[in-house]
Amino acid sequence: MTTVILIVIAVCFFLWSLFKSRKKTKESLKIAKGLFISTAIQIIGVLALVSLFLAIIPPEMIKKVMGGANEAVSVLWGSLIGTVTIIPAFIAFPLSKQLMEAGAALTAIAAFLTTLTMVGFATFPIEKAYFGTKFTIYRNLFSFFAAITVALFMGVIL
Amino acid sequence: MINILKKHKLITVAALAYLVTLICSPQTFMNAIRQNGSFLLEMLEILPPIMVISSLISVWVPNDVIIKGFGNTSGVKGKLLSILIGAFSAGPIYAGFPVAKTLYDKGASVGNVVIILSAWAVVKVPMYLVETSFLGASFANTRYLLTIPLIIVLGYVMQRMVKREDIPISQLDREISEIYDKLPQRHCGACGYTDCHEFAKAVKNGEAQMDDCKILSSSSKKN
Repeated sequence: MTTVILIVIAVCFFLWSLFKSRKKTKESLKIAKGLFISTAIQIIGVLALVSLFLAIIPPEMIKKVMGGANEAVSVLWGSLIGTVTIIPAFIAFPLSKQLMEAGAALTAIAAFLTTLTMVGFATFPIEKAYFGTKFTIYRNLFSFFAAITVALFMGVIL
Repeated sequence: MINILKKHKLITVAALAYLVTLICSPQTFMNAIRQNGSFLLEMLEILPPIMVISSLISVWVPNDVIIKGFGNTSGVKGKLLSILIGAFSAGPIYAGFPVAKTLYDKGASVGNVVIILSAWAVVKVPMYLVETSFLGASFANTRYLLTIPLIIVLGYVMQRMVKREDIPISQLDREISEIYDKLPQRHCGACGYTDCHEFAKAVKNGEAQMDDCKILSSSSKKN
């Protein structure tokens, strides 16, 4: 759904641009092409590695470590798994529900969901290319702790 | 050949890893290939429009609009705007990098860039609905209410820790900044542009020439 909206916005903006100035539109297409090629190559590599990782690690193992007796350890596992994987959101939510039903702790799921989207070990090289090493390390590190904080507070509240 | 491999390190590593898996466990290899399908589909749907939008922004939206909306002095309004951009965007965080970088190059502050990226990752209007239906409203609400303030804190901390010189300059901007470095940077405006940045851009686009800088041309006459 959002993808459709996104494409509509892009097409409208593009047509408007074409109407206003052909030269500027051409210039922007050149930029877009360069951006796409350089990013796509890296993303394909990242996604391929993550897919492989997910195929090697059995889901039962994920369930086990995220529903352990010690909740703090489960939270840590949840956030670590979220950090190293990228899963499209429409798969992540049903998966989280499954994990919860299988006995994963609520706080661990919260940590997993937040790091999954916010902290990216796999996307590190892409982020670094755009924003540099220092920015990337700090952002991911702080986001990781933010995710754990959110999870722990959720454990207190819910 | 080695240079190409070095440039595309990730792809090379991935290809090697797949090769090893194929030899050791063809079953796992097939599972991984199947995983790739859904990922690639998502990427191919989202990346092209994202790239078109962000490059159109870089061509059309004037810097001062971005600086006013997302710059160092944009205050609370800038933070809210940053959260909204993230909330109404689509796609995973890596789709957010090019957009955020474009805004950054045009003068958005480091803090607001971090807020945009974090909101892009976590605060999603359509995803909120999916989360509520699978994990319950109280779970989703609590997670959002806790995350949003933390994102703002994160932006503030990052603004403190990371300076502009820590972040690499885009290819397009590198040429401009090379020209900019040669200018007196007094922002006198005598050339007819608002400041030396605008003038450097005009020189790069061929709209102006270095000689049009009054300070440069007068000092060269003296020598």
